[in-house]
Amino acid sequence: MKALFWILALVASAHVSAGGVGGIDYSREIKPLLRDRCYACHGALKQKAGLRVDTGADVRRGSKDGLVILSNDFSASPLLLRVASTNLDHRMPPEGERLTPVQIGLLRAWIMQGAASPVDEKGEPEPGEHWAFRPPIRSPLPMIERRSAAISNPIDGFISAQYEKQGLTPQREAPKGVLLRRVYLDLIGLPPTREELLAFLADPAPDAYERVVERLLNSPRHGERWARHWMDIWRYADWYGRRTVPDVWNSAPQVWRWREWIVDSLNADKGYDRMLVEMLAADEVAPADDTVRVATSYLVRNWYALNPNQWMRDIVEHTGKAFLGLTFNCAHCHDHKYDPITQRDYFQFRAFFEPLQVRQDRVPGDADPGPFQKYEYSVLRKVNTNGMVSVFDENLDAKTFLYLRGDERSLPEGKPTVPPGMPLFLGGDSLTMQRLDLPVGAHYPGVKPFIRQAEKEKYEHGLAAAMDSLSSATRQLADARGKFAAAEATNSMAVRAMAFSDLLGAEIRWRNQSNQLAVARTELDALRARLVADEALYTVPLSSRREGLDSEKADVSGVKPRVNEAPSARSAADELAAAAGRAERMVSLRKAEAKMSAADGVLALLQAEQAAAAARRSAEGAGEKKEEKEKAEAALKKAQEQVSSAKTNSEIAHAALQTNTTAYTPLTPVYPAQSTGRRSALAGWLTRRDNPLAARVAVNHVWARHFHAPLVTSVFDFGRNGSPPTHPELLDWLAVEFMEHGWSMKHLHRLIVTSSVYRQNSVTAELRTPGSVDSKVENDLHASTARNKARDPANKFLWRMNPGQMEAEVLRDSLLHLADALDLPQGGYPLPNKDAETSHRRSLYFECFPEPGGQSEFATLFDPPGAIECYRRSKTIVPQQALALTNSRFSREQSRAIARRLNDAFPADARRGDSDFLAAAWEQILTRRPSGEELAACQDFLRHEMEPVVESSAGGGEPKKADIARARLHARTSLVQALFNHNGFVTIR
Amino acid sequence: MKTNYSSCGRVPRRTFLADVGMGFAGLTLGSMLWRDGVARADQPGSIWTPPTGQPLVKPKAKSVIWVFLSGGYSHLETFDPKPALVDYAGKTFDKTPFENPIASRKHKNRFRSVPADSVNVRDVYPIIYPSQVGWKPYGQCGIGITDWWPHLAQCADDIAWVRNMWTTDNDHWAENQIHTGRHRLDETQPSLGSWVQYGLGSLNDNLPSFVTVGVPKAHTTSEIDQGYYLGPQHAAVPLTVDPKNPLPFGTRLEGVSAAEQANEYELIGKLNRLAAVEYPDDERLRARIRAYELAFKMQAAVPEAMDFPAEPEHIRRLYGLDQDHTKVAGERLLCARRLVERGVRFVLAYPSGLSAWDSHQKLKSNHEKLCANVDLPVAGLLRDLKQRGLMEDVVVVFCTEFGRTPGLEQRAGGADGRDHHPHGFTIWFAGAGIQGGTIHGETDELGYHALGDGHYVTDIHATVLHLLGLDPRRLEIPGRKRLEIDHGAPITEILA
Repeated sequence: MKALFWILALVASAHVSAGGVGGIDYSREIKPLLRDRCYACHGALKQKAGLRVDTGADVRRGSKDGLVILSNDFSASPLLLRVASTNLDHRMPPEGERLTPVQIGLLRAWIMQGAASPVDEKGEPEPGEHWAFRPPIRSPLPMIERRSAAISNPIDGFISAQYEKQGLTPQREAPKGVLLRRVYLDLIGLPPTREELLAFLADPAPDAYERVVERLLNSPRHGERWARHWMDIWRYADWYGRRTVPDVWNSAPQVWRWREWIVDSLNADKGYDRMLVEMLAADEVAPADDTVRVATSYLVRNWYALNPNQWMRDIVEHTGKAFLGLTFNCAHCHDHKYDPITQRDYFQFRAFFEPLQVRQDRVPGDADPGPFQKYEYSVLRKVNTNGMVSVFDENLDAKTFLYLRGDERSLPEGKPTVPPGMPLFLGGDSLTMQRLDLPVGAHYPGVKPFIRQAEKEKYEHGLAAAMDSLSSATRQLADARGKFAAAEATNSMAVRAMAFSDLLGAEIRWRNQSNQLAVARTELDALRARLVADEALYTVPLSSRREGLDSEKADVSGVKPRVNEAPSARSAADELAAAAGRAERMVSLRKAEAKMSAADGVLALLQAEQAAAAARRSAEGAGEKKEEKEKAEAALKKAQEQVSSAKTNSEIAHAALQTNTTAYTPLTPVYPAQSTGRRSALAGWLTRRDNPLAARVAVNHVWARHFHAPLVTSVFDFGRNGSPPTHPELLDWLAVEFMEHGWSMKHLHRLIVTSSVYRQNSVTAELRTPGSVDSKVENDLHASTARNKARDPANKFLWRMNPGQMEAEVLRDSLLHLADALDLPQGGYPLPNKDAETSHRRSLYFECFPEPGGQSEFATLFDPPGAIECYRRSKTIVPQQALALTNSRFSREQSRAIARRLNDAFPADARRGDSDFLAAAWEQILTRRPSGEELAACQDFLRHEMEPVVESSAGGGEPKKADIARARLHARTSLVQALFNHNGFVTIR
Repeated sequence: MKTNYSSCGRVPRRTFLADVGMGFAGLTLGSMLWRDGVARADQPGSIWTPPTGQPLVKPKAKSVIWVFLSGGYSHLETFDPKPALVDYAGKTFDKTPFENPIASRKHKNRFRSVPADSVNVRDVYPIIYPSQVGWKPYGQCGIGITDWWPHLAQCADDIAWVRNMWTTDNDHWAENQIHTGRHRLDETQPSLGSWVQYGLGSLNDNLPSFVTVGVPKAHTTSEIDQGYYLGPQHAAVPLTVDPKNPLPFGTRLEGVSAAEQANEYELIGKLNRLAAVEYPDDERLRARIRAYELAFKMQAAVPEAMDFPAEPEHIRRLYGLDQDHTKVAGERLLCARRLVERGVRFVLAYPSGLSAWDSHQKLKSNHEKLCANVDLPVAGLLRDLKQRGLMEDVVVVFCTEFGRTPGLEQRAGGADGRDHHPHGFTIWFAGAGIQGGTIHGETDELGYHALGDGHYVTDIHATVLHLLGLDPRRLEIPGRKRLEIDHGAPITEILA
């Protein structure tokens, strides 16, 4: 094998030299190979064995062990020996496939020819010098010689500078209708209606467009549109795991409240920095505000029942990608190959999240969700839709262990732990954190007035209900007594026995109800005692409770941990706590007594029934059957056992009264009184003005969604292996502008959509206008477009607008909206996908999860969000989309609604035929009027569709008016449906 | 659904073929557009280009029927019977003369639990549970097959048996894993069928190239039909065994006649072509025009392909369509044959239901019944392919997510079943490029560990791709790092 390999390598090198090239092109053939396979360990990032190979000179210089290429005996060059070695411990590169014989042949030939390289060759820049690792600075606006006067939007300054540099001429501004449709879909995810189009076209004001932009930015629909974009990036997913069981393994059923928070935050133009802080650490920065704490569902979404390590891995990977544009995940198993992120850095990042746990909280008006159900092997996790979820630091001293090879079972010797931290090259040393005291409501939600009130009402209602039941039992008892007296007057033994049995039953029920009333009374008493004790315990300032808190472990199971308060407070509070405990034990006693009494009653009733049966038998002279007797004895025995067990329980409860502890049941779980402060420190550091990445990454995402192409193609990798920005100064200017305007997204949107570059046409060729007055202008335009296409065919420098394509939600919502059928109420628990074709709610509000059924059948075909990872949405074209738009009941129904409305408004006219209807339909669906040819094609279609009906009249009989009308509506519906299938509908020009 | 831009590699500027949907048949539309001169790669200097739809080396097979038995059939009661289980029934592993398999290093090294160790590790059951059925050798190759496979046993010499499979998950996520090659705790990868479609496209422009037949929807099947970073256009098209309505949205609405719909498609085509005059460089518009043409043809082609009732009586009987217990599997496999015959590249068919073979209890009655359901139809498929000469073009893979424990499952008082067993199981191949009658690999005497290196599930992928003329390493796309274990290695011993 080895021999064969060398022969191949030699042949390859012979081939290379025989190819008559005369010399190996280092820059083209050697350097890319070294960059791909060797730089990670022998470049700017690392210099293993003291060797760098990022310049030819470095290769020639060799490693700390000596030369790696030998000019006198090139075959023995260590570099060649190492890459060709078959010994895996010796071979370079150690990971991945070995170099191919051709590659080795190239290296060999290069060395043979003297290992030449350009004199002025530059090595890799130092990792810290990478553009994205230095804080953005606001460049001065470029001076544009020819156009500066015309440029009012700074974005256009930077874009125009590139035009000048690249020799490009921008397109003209898009026609008004095109622009209107673009900005509507872009900002609110819905196209303009015909009426909105006509109003805009008729508005001659110079600021007509700007006013539209303001209106759209202020529409509640705007938050819905952009929420979906950010939900893509932040990986929104409703619960999944085993949907079909159901068994909740991932995320949580209540994370939809985070979606609401996103929509509301965007509509309120909350700063992006604040949004990040709240998603990562609302429990630390806004612990008292539940409406904000739901934002931490960003972290809950990654929760994975079966394996907490997986939770941590997902958080690290996606917080790195979404907020920092860094692929920390690449450093999970080994040091990062491109960025200066070590494996240790990976675990330091994880350490911020190590103390995490999920909690459930009550929400006013919603049922009590109870404590969060942790995972237990082979126990189903129920779909708990009540209340809200958020995170908290459960274990304040949680340790993060560094493990190897991506396998949490592989701990290195000594099990080293790492503290939280961020890498130095990002300024991680400026990150400091300290433990935070939490307000009492976060520590113990039971003090919240609405919960206290709800609990009080619950027990008061319980008491009232018990009273009602008792009085109804009292009435029934009186009734039974009356009936018994009447029965006593008869001679029938059987009647009297029956009446006695009924009376006994009524008496027992009365006694039970009166016992239940006693229970309800003690329950209310106990609650009052608990409320009072809560007040005393939890309104003591934390500082006086300081002692012993640090080692306090949360116990969310329900029993209040003993708190060491200041001595005076303690004694008073202890007294009240003890009273609450006593009151609870009284409840237990009353319940036990009630049970005993009920068991007594069951026994007495049974005895009475058996006695009655015996009396009946003796009256009838019948004997008792054997099995009946056995059955009766067994029943009696069971009832007696229940009495005795109830008695024991009652005695236990009674004895418990004598104990004197301060333990009582809290109204809600109790959480730690402090948080580590790790995540708020991380979030604060992330959103500092000098953080090099957060703003750039966000601005790039926003830009990508306006222009259908980002400035940095690798949207979640701004590291050294990512793509360089097409417009670096613009990106930085926008990032700074963003931060200095309070990270306002609406400011950014406004800036972008009012720029000239955004308002350009997307066409690559303008149609020549027949009889144009100024043909020179047109000729120039044609020439410049041809030039643009030749110089920048991919439109990297935005000499025209990029066309886009509707995503699944926009498509569905637009169909509904144009049919005037969109249901606009916002928010709520996610709707089932099976209803997506019948419900008219916005698509945002349907379930979304990465399992079968996680998208509607319709959406699946049209680029739905990927709930596992979706930093950029795919924009596919597949034939099934055509089928879904032509064959679905959903699209047909919307088409019919539009056709009916326009049919009423524009009935067929003897003179103008269908042309008014058609013009209106085009305006409504495609936001433009049809051309003459398009109109003709549509008219042909309608005529053709109507032919069968018209022909039926040719046979002599006049077709009925109703038949014609029905056929026309049918044909017009098909026409409308065809327009929904027009490329211009799904395309955003 | 997912982006094409990722973590560990260079990213090219967007190109039409990489970034844009490529039609029903995925690459088919893309390559058709290449033919039409529509697509362009605007990336001078870039090393990477999307696949051309041509095999990289001369292929031995054109298409694949992948028969998956969900739940994990017992290798011990099917194709890897072990006399020792009868001999030592009721004893614990350490009371046999053989190496105690639980003490073997393989036990820990090959397997990785999805639940954290702190949460749970599945019990190991050490009491040997005897085989629940007899067996004997069949064919020239002498493969031991149990009595529950009377029909398939007659095909023994057409089949290459692989008895030393192993996987790493001991729970049903292994069902996804055998299709994607990745453990639950690893990064998700596209499924094999998506890679095939991505690499080769379709042989028939009017049909999808990757389809599923009878695949139930569940978390353990959530990845088996997904293209992930290859793009949603490479996800499988789920077909229903119903010639009247086999394809999602594939049937005209009531009240719309065929002629009407033809007119509507004609109008759409006309309008889009008119628009193309204004946008002469819009590749996506051209792609959409083609997509509509395809959709229209497909609407007829798919029902025709799925029209299994049109098959003659003797063929229907061959697949067991005339018997209740074999009907379901038979219909699905017959459809699979019709699909590959018409040029579909990869048919993923479930002859039985979700987790049907998962016999923690009552293994005997479970397997006896299910084997009877599947045996005749699968044998029928092989015979049918043979008589049509399709064995030259089609490779059949028959597999399950893992085997079952040689030990008796005692969970919850169980006394007649076997637990999940990732350490050793048997699958088989037949058809194009396969050396029939090969018995490859073995498990130890107790049927516990796959001996030698054994084969991880991606070796199946490598074998299939190799037969199709594809090299998984050259299917990589920029920015998506695949590991050595994702590529696997072809099982050369079973190749013709």
